Order: sequence, then structure tokens, then C-alpha cells
Amino acid sequence: MTTPGLTRRGFVKVGGALFVSLGIPSGFSASAAEIRTSLDPALLASWLEIRSDSTILMRTGRTETGTGMSGFYAQMIAEELCVRPEAIALILGDTDKTPDGGYSAGFLTGAENVRKVAAYTYQALLGLAAARLGVSVSDLAVSDGVVSGGGKSVSYGSLVRGQQLDLKIPVSGKAARVDASGSIVGLDGFTVTGEPPMKPMSQYKVIGTSYPMPGTPSKVTGKMQWSCDVALPGMLHARMVRPATLGSTLISVGELDKKRFPGAEVVKKGNLVAVVSPDEWEAVGAARMVAPGTKWTSWSGLPGSENLTKFLREYKWDAPASRGNEADVTAALASAPKTVSASYEQPYIRHAPIGPYVAVADVRSDGAVTVWTHSSNSQGLRAQVANTLSVPVEKVVIRWLEHAGQYGRATFGGDGAEGDAVILSQLTGKPVRVQWTLEEDMAWSSVSPGWVADMKAGLDASGRVTAVHSASYSPHMFDARLLGAILAGMPCSTSKPGGWVATVWPYDKIQNRLEQAYGMANIGAESATGGLRGNIMRTPGQRGQNFALEALMNEAAAAAGADPIQFRIDHTTDQRLIDVLNATAKAAGWEARPSPRLLKQTGTGPMTGRGVGIIVRSNGYWAGIAEVAVTPGTGAVQVTKFTIGLECGKIINPRQLDRCMKSGLVMGLSEALKEEVTFGAGKVTSTDWSRYKILTMEETPEIKVVQISRDDKGFGTGGEAANAVGPPAVAAAFFDATGVQPRRIPLTPAYVTTLLKG
Amino acid sequence: MAAEFTLTVNGVKHVVSAAPGTPLLFVLRNELKLTGPRLGCGLAQCGACSVLVDGKEVRACVAPVSAAVGKRVTTIEGLPDVWAAQRGLRAGEVALHPVQQAWIDEQVPQCGYCQSGMMIAAVQLLAKIPNPTVAQIKDAFTNTPPSPHLCRCGTYAAIIDAVQRAARMMTA
Repeated sequence: MTTPGLTRRGFVKVGGALFVSLGIPSGFSASAAEIRTSLDPALLASWLEIRSDSTILMRTGRTETGTGMSGFYAQMIAEELCVRPEAIALILGDTDKTPDGGYSAGFLTGAENVRKVAAYTYQALLGLAAARLGVSVSDLAVSDGVVSGGGKSVSYGSLVRGQQLDLKIPVSGKAARVDASGSIVGLDGFTVTGEPPMKPMSQYKVIGTSYPMPGTPSKVTGKMQWSCDVALPGMLHARMVRPATLGSTLISVGELDKKRFPGAEVVKKGNLVAVVSPDEWEAVGAARMVAPGTKWTSWSGLPGSENLTKFLREYKWDAPASRGNEADVTAALASAPKTVSASYEQPYIRHAPIGPYVAVADVRSDGAVTVWTHSSNSQGLRAQVANTLSVPVEKVVIRWLEHAGQYGRATFGGDGAEGDAVILSQLTGKPVRVQWTLEEDMAWSSVSPGWVADMKAGLDASGRVTAVHSASYSPHMFDARLLGAILAGMPCSTSKPGGWVATVWPYDKIQNRLEQAYGMANIGAESATGGLRGNIMRTPGQRGQNFALEALMNEAAAAAGADPIQFRIDHTTDQRLIDVLNATAKAAGWEARPSPRLLKQTGTGPMTGRGVGIIVRSNGYWAGIAEVAVTPGTGAVQVTKFTIGLECGKIINPRQLDRCMKSGLVMGLSEALKEEVTFGAGKVTSTDWSRYKILTMEETPEIKVVQISRDDKGFGTGGEAANAVGPPAVAAAFFDATGVQPRRIPLTPAYVTTLLKG
Repeated sequence: MAAEFTLTVNGVKHVVSAAPGTPLLFVLRNELKLTGPRLGCGLAQCGACSVLVDGKEVRACVAPVSAAVGKRVTTIEGLPDVWAAQRGLRAGEVALHPVQQAWIDEQVPQCGYCQSGMMIAAVQLLAKIPNPTVAQIKDAFTNTPPSPHLCRCGTYAAIIDAVQRAARMMTA
């Protein structure tokens, strides 16, 4: 995506491919007819351009996820270059115009790349200025892109006018590709190495201020061009006709009435069936007509969501991924005077963006491929598309635009509508836009796997935890395949299923610990479409494993008769965790006492309680305190207030962090109270918003935010894990209110009613 | 089979050719290139496609284009002119409706996909209740038929702040 926006006028047709005639770095202007499909990350010109008006263009393959990456990048670049953040323009995610690739989810690594490039550039600019002004570098001062020294000054724009900064950027890594074994590698992209001098945090002027997010005005005026807005000359609209079940194969395609839909055509390859038309509504109508008459084989290889726990319990698991010392833990648990054991579980949930997948592809007869997308890993997607079409990655250009949040599902560059789009474009010889429907997205996009976990803690005579054994069981979450490629029987990337210990252990005083994570392939993996394709989702893996650990800690605190916050403080020496717990407790007005409440609750009115949960992730320390009201008669759980605290090193943008903490928490509360993917023997059944329920505004509690910023611990990730701090706190508050331990989320009325009946 | 429909959208009269039954959303986006309203569920379950028809919120993903004939359709692109008219100014004289300004000031959008519909709902609410309480805002965004306005990023708290800020701006 380019800052000036994508317009039809902006497209220039050259040499049989389309490109936007913006942002071609000066080092690559040898021939206007030459199509560049990638940039050399070792050249400064690939990353950064200083224009004559001293504004700065930075290019990175990372993209905006909706949490404010583009704003944070601008702040970091501006800080190192001593300019205002408004002077920074970004090109994000276009593979032909950005050098590094990499995960958009990896804010810290992406930010470090652009920060280092800015720092290297700053040193080079100081060198140029010293020569121009005839003073030594140490005598220079920079403000707002103007270098001063010896009574003279010069702007960055004047310094670089007519010349090119011939600067090499040290990098490591490789562009993403699918290797001979079918694995997708290089998803981290390139990393800028070395240690250029960086501005000390004590001198920061831009980082730590609430610089407004640059994309907001265009989002609220309707001027932003989204990936769903891409329209190419001659483009066909496609609607997909999906198999009857996750394991069905095509028998015959239903009839298309050409009198009613004269512009529509059926396109198929293998089990990939679509209807295309130049008119979108005609494609919709024609697909609706073709679908019921299309015959598929039957398949019933799923256990059904109601039997998920039983299925996971009966599965013959391979050896787990393991961390810790089994012998020590076994001995400590055997000798503990008291033990606490519990099993927890969560069903499948899904990312469920408001905007379903959409993609546009233009596959030319000479093999040149352009894809317009909202994927979160453009180079990863480029690798997957090249693999599917069996063309070199150099032939594929990915253009990125904003769209509905992905919440992790496109982190590996797969899963979306891009597979459908490139295959249909290849088959029709025209640009094709594929728009999934919500029902299709909720039935066919990847999911965050359900899990069960067996937890055990040993307590000594004083009530301190001496050992923890955790064992979690879950299908894997690394299936990055493109659905279209699977259905069409074309080459797909693969990933090895396996267990993954994802926790960051917060309680260092518990020295005996054994964490085991058992993994398996997708449920229904043997089916024609790979079954329930597991994928990572915001705070992946750790979200569930941390929930189980925090639930165990709350049960252990209750067994010890201890206040749940003090109990946590007693099990860590990490002052950062202690500080955020104390600050959050203070803001919430927490009264130290054990759970559950000893007050006898009478009548049929709501029972109230409060609980705490924490998570440590990506140099961020989170604490959450939930206050809930449980109505026994209906099983309704209302979170009435939530206090969320975070220390994530130096806070980059307090206001946007406030927004991210509150909104991420809403996602977590939604997971705690409502979310469950349901499926029968053949297919997913929770395929619209009436069957896959998420939190509404009315259900959103008053949210109080606590932020702690510090200058001595670098940067942490402040957006992601807000969702993971909600569920353990809500579950703890439920126990506090009712005296009953919930061992499953979501806390739906049906489950709560059953729980309270005992 | 296509028929001609005369529509007034954001104060401008258009004659469009579309198959009867085509949802208003497809005409707005594909024919008139008004991409503020977006396709979410296509089932009137989320609100991402909402527009105002004679000042009342309509889910454009299911409302047929024929239902908008002879009525005033407003998308977020037309909100500044709505505010200009309310202030006795000419079209084009204000750049942003107070709701849009409040959405910027309160930094509401995350991904932003649902926010066009959220702003439409806010304009409708503020026309009815100039100074809504938090409870009234929650009620309007959740219980107004046909469905709650959904935001998957979870920006509800920011929306509440922005509606109250817009209310202050509009009643000042």
C-alpha cells in the first residue's frame, strides 16, 4: 500500500504487467520499462528515500494490522532521524517496493529494522553535513531535519539533492520461499543487523507522545482504498461454490441458466468451483443457482464439536514438546503435602473478521502474477502463490492494502482468497476478484484449535507452590495453505504438526516445573480439504496454555487460603510483574482476601466477585482484574468492570496503547464469555453472527487502563496480549462470586447453569 | 433484464442500471464508486454496510436498490454535507461531520472496517438523542434492529467516547 492511495489513474501498463508508478527508488530507475519485482535489502535506497523537501519515504514489507504499526514505525523513524513524524511516509507490504518481508505480527522485529535503517542513515547524513558545513560531526546539532554547526545550517533535502546516499545496510535472512520439502521458510524476512548508534531514550521527543494514527482520517472519510475496493479493467467477479463438507469431492456441477445470467460462466479445477461474471451481483445470483444443483460426495470424518473433549482424550498422542525437568517435578509432586489438580478446556474459536476474505489476481500468459491482498505476510504469500502456480517468486508481485483485521490468520501469508483468485485468473485469462461470503469465511477459513489441559500443582505446608506439571493437548496451529490450491489439487506448502510449549513462565520461584504440549494434525486432516485447518490466532498457543496456568494458580491460591494477587507476588522475583500487579490492584481498588467470597449470597439476585489474571509476553507484563455479576437463574455472566494494566518497557504512543488495550480486552472477554466454533460430522455449523456470537457494545464493561512506561527495558509489544489477560481474570472472578471453579470457557449461560447446579 | 433507477445519493441525482433486486450496497460501491459502506455479513447481521435512507439507518447489503428510489441516500462520504446543511452552509463548505471529527479525535478505528457503519449509527442516534448517556449509546448500538453493530477489533469503548464527543460538538 502506498500513502498516496491506489487509483485507477495510478496504474501504468508497462510490458504486460501492472505497477503503480510511485515509489520506485532512485537506484532502480534504469529503465521505466523494466519491471522490478523485488528490492535488494542490502541497499539503503531500497529502504529509505529522502526527498528534496526533507520528507522521508520508508519502505517495509511489514503491514498495518489495525493496532497502529504504521504510526509507531513513523515515530521510531522520526526519532532516530530527528524529524517530525509527519515528515515520514510509509510504503507497506508491496513485495516489489519493499525490501524486508517478514511477519506483520512481529512488531518488535519490524520496528527494529526501520529503526536501525533510520539510525544508519542518520550517521551518514551527519557525515555529509560535516563535510558540507566544514565542521566536525561532534559539533553538529539536528532539529526537524535541519543540521546546524559552525553558525551554518543545511536541510536533509539540500544535503542529498543531486546525489545518492551510497550506503550498505547490513542484513541477515532470506526471502520467504517454499522449499523442496514443501515447507515455507524465510517467513521472518530480512533482519537489519549491526549496532548503529541509537538515540538514548532520555532524549526522546517523539516516542512517548500520542502521535495521531496516520490512517485514521482516510478511514473515517471513506477515502481509504481497501483491498475490497480494487477494480481493474476487464476484471471478473467470482463467487465460490464450496464442497458440501470438508471432505467432499466434486461429482458434477449444477446447471447455469444462461438466459437468466447471460454474462456468467462456471469455472472449475478439481474441487475448486466458481462462477464468474463482469457484474458482481450476477456472479452472486448465478453462484446461488449453481450451488444447490452441484453434487458432491458425502463425508463424515469429524467428531462433532460436542464430542471434541472426548475425541482429544481418546486420541493416541505422540511424544510431546517438553520443557522442564520431569524427574524433579515427579519427586516434588510426590512429596508435596498438598496437591491441586484440574483439567481445563476450550473449544475451537476463530478470528472472525467483520470483512470476509477478498483478493484480486491478474495472472498473465507470460507467467507474470500480480495479487492485491490484505495478507499479513506479503513475501510469504508471494512464496505460496509462486509454489502453487509453479513459477519463480520473481514472477509474482504482491500488492498490499488495508482491510478487516486478520488477528493472526494471515501471518504465514496463507489461508485467504488469494489461492482462488490466482487459479481463476489463470483459468480465465482475466483479472479476477474473489469475494468470500461471511458464511464461507466462517465455514472454510482456518481456525484456532480447541484444547484440553491437565494441570497439577504441589504445595508445601506453608501453601507455597513447589512444583507444577502442565500437559496440554491440541491439534496444531501452523496450517498456512491456500484453500484454493488445496481444492484445485495444485501444489501447497505444508507444515509438520507438533506440540508447542508457548508459555513465558512468570513464576520463577516455582523451580520444579514440567510443561508438555502434545500436538496432532488437523482434525479431519485426511479429508480432501485437510479438515479443520488450524492456524495461529492473536497470542497464539500461549493464550490457552497461560489460561490453564493462571486457572491453576487461582485454584492453588484458594487451596492455600491466600489472596490471589499476593499469591502471585509470592511466587515471583520479577519486579516488573510485581509492579504491574500492584499498580493494577491499586487502580481497581482491590481488597486483599482469599477467593471465594465468604459472604453468603442470598436471593436470586446476581452474585458478584472479582478475580485476577496475568500474562508475560514479548517484553510486556500484563495484569487484569475482572469484576463480574453472575445471575444463577439464567446463567448469565456480565463483566461489570475490568482494570487492565501493562508495563511494556518504553511506551511509544500512550493514547493508541490505551485504545489497543481496551479493544484487545474486548476480544478476550468475547472469548471468555461467548465464542465457540461448532461443527457436525462433516462441516462447520457456526457460520454467521447468530451462531458464532461475539461480544456486543452492551456487554462491554467499564474498562480502566493502567500504563507503566520505563526507559531501561527497551520496547515491548503493547497490543497483542490484551486478549489473553481477560479470560483467566473472568474465570477467577466467577469462582470468587460463586465458589465454583469454571474449568471451561466460554462461560455461556448453558454451561454456567450446569455448573451451578453442581 | 436490467432496469434504470434514479437515486439521490449524497445530494447528487444518479441514474443507474441494475438488475431488480440488486442490493443498494452493490450499486453504491460498483456503479457509483462510493466505497465507504463495505460488505460485512451480507445478512444484515453486522452493520458494516449501513447507510442512511431519508435519515434512517438501512443495511445496504440486503436493501434492494429499488427501495431507495425517490429517497435521500447518505454514505459517510456525504456526511460533511449533511452537517453543512444543518448549519445553513453550502455543500462542500465543511470537510468533516462532527461525528467524523470525533472519530479522528478519539482515534476510534483499529482496522476500521466496521467504522463506516458505526458512524452512520452514531449520526442516526444523535439526531434522535442529542446528548445520549453511555447506557443509551450501548442500547442504540446493540438493540436497534436488525442486529447489533459488531466490531471485531473491539473498539466499543472508543466509540462511546467519540459519540459523546460528537454530541458535545453538535450541541455547542
